[in-house]
Amino acid sequence: MNTTQHVLSVLWTSFLVAGVAEGVFFTLIDPQALYFLGKPVHFSSIATYSIGFFCFWFLCATSSLITYLLIRSEQLSIVEKPLV
Amino acid sequence: MAISPTPVEKPVIFIEKSLYEVHNKVYPRSVSGVYANARWLMVWFTQLLFYGLCWLPWHGRQAVLFDLVARKFYVFGLVFWPQDVIYLAVLLIISAYSLFLFTAVGGRLWCGYACPQTVYTEIFLWIERKIEGDRTARMKLDSAAMSSRKILLRLAKYVAWGLLALWTGFTFVGYFTPIKTLAASVFSFSLGPWETFWIIFYSTFTYIFAGHLREQVCKYMCPYARFQGVMFDPDTLTITYDAKRGEPRGGHKKGDDYKAQGKGDCVDCGICVQVCPTGIDIRKGLQYECIGCAACIDACDQVMEKMSTPKGLIRYSTEHAIASQWGWREIIGHVIRPRVLIYAVVLWVIILAFIWGVATKPALKVDVIRDRAVLAREVDNGMIENVYRLHLMNVSEHAQQYELTVRGLPGLTMLSPPVFDLPTEADRTVLVQVQAPPESGKKGAHEIYFDFKDVSGHEPIISEEAKFFLP
Repeated sequence: MNTTQHVLSVLWTSFLVAGVAEGVFFTLIDPQALYFLGKPVHFSSIATYSIGFFCFWFLCATSSLITYLLIRSEQLSIVEKPLV
Repeated sequence: MAISPTPVEKPVIFIEKSLYEVHNKVYPRSVSGVYANARWLMVWFTQLLFYGLCWLPWHGRQAVLFDLVARKFYVFGLVFWPQDVIYLAVLLIISAYSLFLFTAVGGRLWCGYACPQTVYTEIFLWIERKIEGDRTARMKLDSAAMSSRKILLRLAKYVAWGLLALWTGFTFVGYFTPIKTLAASVFSFSLGPWETFWIIFYSTFTYIFAGHLREQVCKYMCPYARFQGVMFDPDTLTITYDAKRGEPRGGHKKGDDYKAQGKGDCVDCGICVQVCPTGIDIRKGLQYECIGCAACIDACDQVMEKMSTPKGLIRYSTEHAIASQWGWREIIGHVIRPRVLIYAVVLWVIILAFIWGVATKPALKVDVIRDRAVLAREVDNGMIENVYRLHLMNVSEHAQQYELTVRGLPGLTMLSPPVFDLPTEADRTVLVQVQAPPESGKKGAHEIYFDFKDVSGHEPIISEEAKFFLP
């Protein structure tokens, strides 16, 4: 259960932020006006929105994961009372 | 050789202390009463709205449709374009402020009655109860060995949950792509890959959140649950156990004068704990896990009625009210306080501004761009000519006709036809030549105005500023 909760705490926070990022990004930018490697994106709008969302989610999850790792190693270095 | 017990250093052991508590499954007992009815009323209201609104037609289209492909949001008679994002932002601010106001006055009303997590958990629990029975029956079934009956009941529950979840996912996607087309493609098995994906994605989330995670979403995942405390003050309504009246708790024998024995009103039946969807004991005081659903109030009131003691041992009350033994009158008297007033005033200002903004939203969007090739030129009749590109967008859902006039300099004339037809949702660019006699002003840039007058007279005149150059 612990591992699941750790994984979820990374995925869930990034999901929320990715949702906001997706909304703001695609409100301001038309998916049909995007360029990918110098060529206009030829996917359908729904596909572009979806792929965009997963990119945002992935980026945010990476950030959350790094935060998680930093906090975790900090906690590991705290020496608890030695077992007698 | 015998191993001698040499003294060794005590091993230092690093322990990673888990910050997570062990999760115990909560089996909420069914509850009935005033607040349970209020919650069911909200379940019906929100879900009729959610499942139904997407099917409502409006002048030949879906009444509420967030058309992502066409990048237009339709809300009844209104059409929102990406340029109108400000309205969406203001709407979000209004929602947030309403939440602040409600929370400051009534505590976690949103959580207890209207949050989708509560609403879907309630529906999923209802299904579970219908199939597997109430609390005790479910606990028994969970601990029982696998049998054909158990498999059958589980299967029935999961299928019922799954169907509801799928319908929810389908409805959700139906707000972003026209639902009738979506339904047609579901039945002809021609659903696009992304639509299929998002329906399944949303369904899965509904299923897991309402079926399995339930109170854990509120306890571990919800950001609002963590910060709602800052909106609270000692005059905020919360679900409160009246410890002064209830303690010391203990069983009452019939005919005994329990008060003479020094006992309080609480009979320690534990029903308030059994009905709690988050599995807490409200008698321990206000806890962050409490979602304010008032199930314990309904449950305790029934017990109090049976014991012929007054209701309200657990009730909606405030910190101040409990401390000073206030009644409803004093509690209501304390609703109006600086925090509530500020929230309310700000909320109303934003709401009025929003309504005004939407009501006066122009049906025509104009962009005036000066022709980049020529700044100004003298034409045959000795006049000075400037050329402009007018980018016109009909953002309404009906054809429009606009009459264009220009003003700002003496003798200003326009060569292009003054009346434009703009069909529904048209987006066109018009070239306009404007001329003025050279003596009409000093050398340099002058402000002129293009006035767009709706021929039908429904829309207010839209004025757009531009620069006119005199060489």
